[in-house]
Amino acid sequence: MPLHPTIETWFAGKGWAPRQHQLDVLASWNEDASALLIAPTGAGKTLAGFLPTLDDLTHAPRDELHTLYISPLKALAVDVARNLTTPIEEMGLPVTVETRTGDTPGSRRTRQLRKPPNILLTTPEQLALLLSHEHAAAFFGSLRRIVLDELHSLVTNKRGELLSLDIARIAGFAPGLRITALSATVARPDLLRDWIAAPLPAARTDLLIGKGGAKPDISILASNVVVPWSGHSTLYAVPELYSIIKDHKTTLLFVNTRSQAEMLFQNLWAINDDNLAIALHHGSLVVEQRRKVEAAMVAGQLQAVVCTSTLDLGIDWGDVDLVVQVGAPKGASRMLQRIGRSNHRMDEPSKAIFVPSNRFEVLECEAALEAVERNAQDSEEPSLGGLDVLAQHVLGVACAAPFDPVALHAEVNRAWPYRSLDWPTFERVIDFVATGGYALRAYERYAKLKQTADGRFRIANPYIAQQYRLNVGTIIEDPMVKVRLVKGGRVRDGKRSTGPIGRFGRVLGELEEYFIDQLVKGDTFIFGSEVVAYEGMFETEAYVSRSNSTDPRIPSYMGGKFPLSTYLAEGVRKLLSQPDEWHKLPDQVADWLRLQHDVSQMPPADSMLVETFPRGTQNFMVCYPFEGRLAHQTLGMLLTRRLERARARPLGFVASDYSLAIWGLGDFGGLIRTGRLSLAELFDQDMLGDDLESWLHESQLMRRTFRNAAIIAGLIERRHPGKEKTGRQVTVSSDIIYDVLYEHEPDHILIQATRRDAARGLLDIERLGHLLARIRDHIVHKPLDRISPLAVPVLLDIGKTAIFGEARESAMADAADELMREALGQGSVALKAAPPPSIRTTRKTTNGLEQRGRRRAKK
Amino acid sequence: MLLQFAGHTFEPLLSGALFWRAESMLLVADLHFAKFSSYARRGHMLPPYDTGLTLKRLERDIEQTKAERVVALGDSFHRDEGAETLLDTDRLRLLALLGKSHWTWISGNHDPSPHALGGVCVSGLEHRGLTLTHEPRRGSLGMVAGHLHPAATVYSNGSATRRPCFVHDTKILLLPAYGSGAGSMNILGPTFAGLFDHRTLEVTMLGRNRLYPVSTKRLVAGI
Repeated sequence: MPLHPTIETWFAGKGWAPRQHQLDVLASWNEDASALLIAPTGAGKTLAGFLPTLDDLTHAPRDELHTLYISPLKALAVDVARNLTTPIEEMGLPVTVETRTGDTPGSRRTRQLRKPPNILLTTPEQLALLLSHEHAAAFFGSLRRIVLDELHSLVTNKRGELLSLDIARIAGFAPGLRITALSATVARPDLLRDWIAAPLPAARTDLLIGKGGAKPDISILASNVVVPWSGHSTLYAVPELYSIIKDHKTTLLFVNTRSQAEMLFQNLWAINDDNLAIALHHGSLVVEQRRKVEAAMVAGQLQAVVCTSTLDLGIDWGDVDLVVQVGAPKGASRMLQRIGRSNHRMDEPSKAIFVPSNRFEVLECEAALEAVERNAQDSEEPSLGGLDVLAQHVLGVACAAPFDPVALHAEVNRAWPYRSLDWPTFERVIDFVATGGYALRAYERYAKLKQTADGRFRIANPYIAQQYRLNVGTIIEDPMVKVRLVKGGRVRDGKRSTGPIGRFGRVLGELEEYFIDQLVKGDTFIFGSEVVAYEGMFETEAYVSRSNSTDPRIPSYMGGKFPLSTYLAEGVRKLLSQPDEWHKLPDQVADWLRLQHDVSQMPPADSMLVETFPRGTQNFMVCYPFEGRLAHQTLGMLLTRRLERARARPLGFVASDYSLAIWGLGDFGGLIRTGRLSLAELFDQDMLGDDLESWLHESQLMRRTFRNAAIIAGLIERRHPGKEKTGRQVTVSSDIIYDVLYEHEPDHILIQATRRDAARGLLDIERLGHLLARIRDHIVHKPLDRISPLAVPVLLDIGKTAIFGEARESAMADAADELMREALGQGSVALKAAPPPSIRTTRKTTNGLEQRGRRRAKK
Repeated sequence: MLLQFAGHTFEPLLSGALFWRAESMLLVADLHFAKFSSYARRGHMLPPYDTGLTLKRLERDIEQTKAERVVALGDSFHRDEGAETLLDTDRLRLLALLGKSHWTWISGNHDPSPHALGGVCVSGLEHRGLTLTHEPRRGSLGMVAGHLHPAATVYSNGSATRRPCFVHDTKILLLPAYGSGAGSMNILGPTFAGLFDHRTLEVTMLGRNRLYPVSTKRLVAGI
């Protein structure tokens, strides 16, 4: 079927012709097939997604829901609505478009249910809400198309899992449904195609690959300054970055964490003599401030924006002519997407600069450059379905109408992430939703789901549906605390005030509660681009005051610290093992590697190097797996346990993306040389058995992970900001629930879900497993007299990042020892009231090497 | 380890109980039996195992100390009708314990009414010059109480560690909450304001495998 003349004329009037991939999507539709379109940013993907709808409705106008568009971001849905309305109006097409987000007023939501638009643009969470409505089946009955935008970013997390279940459900309501998914380039497009094909087994699903744009022009900042050994501040490059910003119209500076964003922003402004319009954008800032920055950017008023992954997704932010990646790239696919943010015209090359923040990152940038050159992809694969998400879905289904468990199981199996979910597990999930699923059947009489005479399940009362609607969705933010700027100094030493210090200050933004928990009054950190001092928690807000400190304790709050991708890790290993390639590197980095080559050896590409050396009164063991910080942390936890058992007396460890250093009192090198400690046994894969299990039991990570699973599964309720005190919510801490459940029923499905989440997320068990398999019989031990050049960076991290070990117990032991010293009348520091136990100091040495250490506060 | 208070010697236990060997008396505060199960009627199916775990601790402590008397310092039941809503398995275990020692139940704000499970229900107890009660009162002498669920946070090497604790000065001794489902509150928080004389404060934290009498200079507020 040819494109409708009205649309063709419109294209011609603009002097455009439809692009090939846009026509391909239309062709798939006309052949009654679903399609996955993979194309780079700026290729007109969105129009491609809607062309079939516009064409279809122009040929045959109708008065019902035709197309559902789902985007990962509310802002993107709104943006697309705007971009869609303009051509529709210009062409005068009989097509109605509306959004449905959390901001849509109640009256319009009600009207949309009665009289839906042709095209409804929404988010996965709103879709789940719609599906729990009692008229869901009728509402979606007329649906012909689902357009999924930025699918690559949805399928790797729980939102995607929930979305897959929702689509499988809609497919049952809408017999003529076809799916069009839009995605950036990914490593495994076949899996993404299977993902959208699964709910519609009878339909063909085409894989359409759009033509790539011009090759990007990327370079690594060739700094004249000495690149530091470690750290992530990239302070050394700030003057050079500033002049680069000056030379461009609009520069996007991507960093990996919010604290890096704060620091870079602060440092750029410190030298901003020309008053360039440089802005800051990250997820912790208040929404209004972010919106202001976005608007200024679209209006072309900004010369640079320092941002985190919050600007990763496809919204068009105007005329960016340069993208700078400050700090390690971490993954090739992510880099390609970020680089795509510059220059939205696809026939012109995007321009990007990588700025490594330390010497290992120089190697990583080099590997990323090569990956981008070869257009290599290392994006994550779609995730498999979690039982917590399924539990939420099952309850949602029951809220809409009674369900038949056998039919629902078959439907759930048509969601790709749940394709192999077996019946017994599905039954346990239903049992969990109904009564908590405990072996001790204590709650039958309170069951949320009741079975009817014909075997179907229905909700026990309407209150359950109300509760469900308040808790729908899978995005669980860490509990956030509002940070309010107040006048400081009212709380004096020795006099603890219990009231507010000075109300009515401005809210700077929000921080994770666990970060605030670590603060002690007087601690300083940069937030909202100001150096502030922590004053205390007052009700639900953290009060801070302006500080004159030039020496802030830098916030270590999270916010997108991605681990190094396997692909780039391989690139770095390869680069290290090929000295003929080192000429590509800056001299200072090549010299460093040559020195390592001379005094120790390079980590070989196919095996793992373990160095041991004494330093001070301690002994160090440094290994170089290059598997990312998370996997290394897990490895460190498990190795210290094993070393403890081997009586090697480990004291702690520190992990980076590249290596792991363990220190202790035992002579690691000697123990290995004399055969009393076997590296093969130490790194044996069996550590992922009992050792992992017993560590997990004590780990705080499991408790934090459990909280998320428990909220998603509906065991405990979400905290709604400002509504904490209604008294209707459970006030039992999720840590306590976890402890009780783990101790009594460690196989409960919520513990299973927690273990799975921890394994793939915070612990990266899968990658650790691959590492242990890879290095079996391939460990090279190099005993040394002193520290090796390659070990310098990770050892400098000691004192900067958290040191692991039995930290929690040892804090109490320290405090107990101090009491003992006091009792014996020995060197205890006389302090008034509760002092800040430690402060951070920054010392800069002549070669630009930056060191942070802690010392006791002296008064 | 031993704890001296108001002229008497006590043994704090890792479980959070306080053993008074001279009197063969085991003191426990804030058992909060049937706490999790009380949420079920509102649709929160919390694991019904908190009571069982608390009972397990009690069984172990009574077995090891051979205490002839057990005194529960109030809030033994999370809800006043808790004694009736105990799950059957839990009830049987509790009755077995009641048969082994002489029990005194002191009433708390969660469980003000007496019950008929066994033992004696009282509002408070005077013993050897000490006042055993639920809620501590400012300015009292020789008072042993619970109610506030004390916990201490110490800070070292960049990480804060928070654990339930025993805390006392020369006048008041508070026990940590014993119930596995009970939470805890920082002793430097506003709830404790003015209760203790901080110059004579002693704090004993419950570690994983041992108790830690900690220096009060290391305590931090906040969490």
